[in-house]
Amino acid sequence: MSIFFLLLQQELLLTAIIFVLLFVKLSTKQWNSQTVLSFVNILLVVNLAAGFFFKEKGTLFGDMFQTNDLLRFEKNILNLGTLLISLQAYNWLLKHKHAIEFYLLMLSTLLGMFFMLSSSNLLMFYVGLELASIPLAALANFDLDKKRSSEAAMKYIMSSAFASGLLLFGISLIYGMVGSVNFTDIAVAASENPLFLFGFILLIAGFGFKISAVPFHLWTADVYEGAPVAVTSYLSVISKGSMLFVMTSVLSTVFANLLFQWYNIVAVLAVLSMIVGNLFAIRQQNIKRFLAFSSISQVGFILIGMSGANIESHSSVVYFVLVYLFSNLAAFAVINVISEASGKENIDDYKGLYKTNPALTWVLAIALFSLAGIPPTAGFFGKFFLLLGGASKGNYLLIIVAALNMVISLYYYLRIIKAMFMDANETPVEKLAISWSPKISMAVCMAGIVVTGIISGAYEYIYSLLK
Amino acid sequence: MGAASLIVLILAAIAFSAGAILIAKVVTKATKNKQKAEPYESGIPTRGPSWVQFNVGYYLFALLFLIFDVELIFLYPWAVAAKKVGLLALVEIIIFFFILFMGFLYAHKKGALKWK
Amino acid sequence: MEITQILFWFLSVLAVFGALMMVTSKNPVYSVLWLIVVFFAISGHYILLNAQFLAIVNIIVYAGAIMVLFLFVIMLMNLNAETEPQKNKWLKIAGVVAGCSLMLVFVAALRQSDELLKAPVSMGGETGLIKTLGKTLFTDYVLPFEISSVLFLSAMVGAVVIGKKGD
Repeated sequence: MSIFFLLLQQELLLTAIIFVLLFVKLSTKQWNSQTVLSFVNILLVVNLAAGFFFKEKGTLFGDMFQTNDLLRFEKNILNLGTLLISLQAYNWLLKHKHAIEFYLLMLSTLLGMFFMLSSSNLLMFYVGLELASIPLAALANFDLDKKRSSEAAMKYIMSSAFASGLLLFGISLIYGMVGSVNFTDIAVAASENPLFLFGFILLIAGFGFKISAVPFHLWTADVYEGAPVAVTSYLSVISKGSMLFVMTSVLSTVFANLLFQWYNIVAVLAVLSMIVGNLFAIRQQNIKRFLAFSSISQVGFILIGMSGANIESHSSVVYFVLVYLFSNLAAFAVINVISEASGKENIDDYKGLYKTNPALTWVLAIALFSLAGIPPTAGFFGKFFLLLGGASKGNYLLIIVAALNMVISLYYYLRIIKAMFMDANETPVEKLAISWSPKISMAVCMAGIVVTGIISGAYEYIYSLLK
Repeated sequence: MGAASLIVLILAAIAFSAGAILIAKVVTKATKNKQKAEPYESGIPTRGPSWVQFNVGYYLFALLFLIFDVELIFLYPWAVAAKKVGLLALVEIIIFFFILFMGFLYAHKKGALKWK
Repeated sequence: MEITQILFWFLSVLAVFGALMMVTSKNPVYSVLWLIVVFFAISGHYILLNAQFLAIVNIIVYAGAIMVLFLFVIMLMNLNAETEPQKNKWLKIAGVVAGCSLMLVFVAALRQSDELLKAPVSMGGETGLIKTLGKTLFTDYVLPFEISSVLFLSAMVGAVVIGKKGD
């Protein structure tokens, strides 16, 4: 019995937090929103910390649920990201009437992601995926009086339902061919049978939608732009990161027999994502749309790492998601502060930011340097390991394309840095007082960018987990 | 074979009722006049389009109904299997109902069940 | 031909016809009604496969509750034949090309998997019965079952928050 609680520790704790919040909401006492938010953040810190204390691994409910060191580590990464987003959203939620519901929905999606990560059959995977995506649509609508936000939610739920439909069709074809939804059975039975391959390709389309790889990326920019900043950062880091974790392990273990097929698919997706993401990022005016396309091109790089299909490349993907989490959340922290205080979200508004807000400018600049992959930051090491992982297949054309795209991406990241430091602006963003919670979040992100980069231990630790 | 006869029964039922209507249509002498086409005999004639935009409240009700409908459906297999699975099944269904009941309380507290 | 075979073909033709009518109807309410026909035909298929419980659930939940939701959505958004937007010509062409390619791939894949499809795997006639289903649902598949309740809860919370914006 105790092993049950130990194995399910992360999920049960999260469920407990959800229910505590629900009780708080249902209680007759009117809680002060400041107290509630501090309380939630403390719970999230506990949730994050508790994840590091347990090491049990094994399976539960037959083969419904599995956990091991790597999965625990991946869940801890997601917990950390959620905590950082919660800190960044503090000021926004203070004024919001439905702060507790925001957490209820966000933590339910996180729970869905945990079950999705721990799934060892397609049914659990699908249930987890649905739990991870349906409440997200409600979250995208959380700027309740803005039409844009509703539009974003509508677009997200429509395209998400369509992608789920494709995924389910793929799952049913695979089930029809194999006679089981179990990952181990599928791994044995995976063959080049055309109907099986067709199901497999539909499955990849479902994955591709969630990580917004290029032919499936069309929802990304609109949803990112319309959704509240906190939700945008959640979508672009946590939702995407969890799916990348699942995709990497499913492709390399369950579909190892079909390596040749999925290598080619992933390579094409990677090249398209990098090129399209980069070309569209150059001409964006809104900073959230800009980060949407930049995240699409980052996914392209991650897919290159994924295509390596060995332990090194698998750990490079996990490592890069960690680095990406720090870098992207640092950028979103700054955007959140500025958008919350002044409502400005265009790149032109960021001109001359250095004159008024030097600290914010530096944070955003370092985050963008890390996203661009400039040496002292963690982003450089992340991309280096990804390319190294991808190169193990010996397809140097792919690596050359990736390297060229890194140069292009440098251009548009530097464009924003130039705008902030050098360009003059008659009506710059006024000097902002930053409250403690975004400050902590930014500090953690900055520390993460520096530490995960300079201390090589992070990558080696992930590598040791995979062995 | 049992399944097939069930479907045949359903189809036969449909055919029987449809046949009755059709025979009535064929046998009777049809008359046509303006009064017959109106929605209510001796009622007030309708004004404006009959398609109007609904209140969003209906949707909320329908969604809550759907969720509890699905919840109810899970009770059927539970009722059949409860004896065989034993105490565990009772615990499982109680957890399930507890979680959904919390949702119901939430909807109640927010006034989602009040009509404005 | 056996009676099951006749029924199979009848239900299949009905389902495909209903689906086509659903897509091509200009009036959204007609589309919903045709969709109900499709659901009934598919329920018939479930019965043929000896999955009575699934057939009943399909009728109660899909043909009953979800169709009501669909009708509400149509009335909420005030859709009718007049407000049907004119689609771009290129969009139509792209849709036709994509649909035909999908069909082509699917048919080709089915033809190549002929051998596999000729040897159907029988899971035993008991699988679809409510007794077996209940037992598996509450022993092996209890985790997805409980997760689905959390999913319902979050769907409820989300719907109430969005639906009751004011308070």
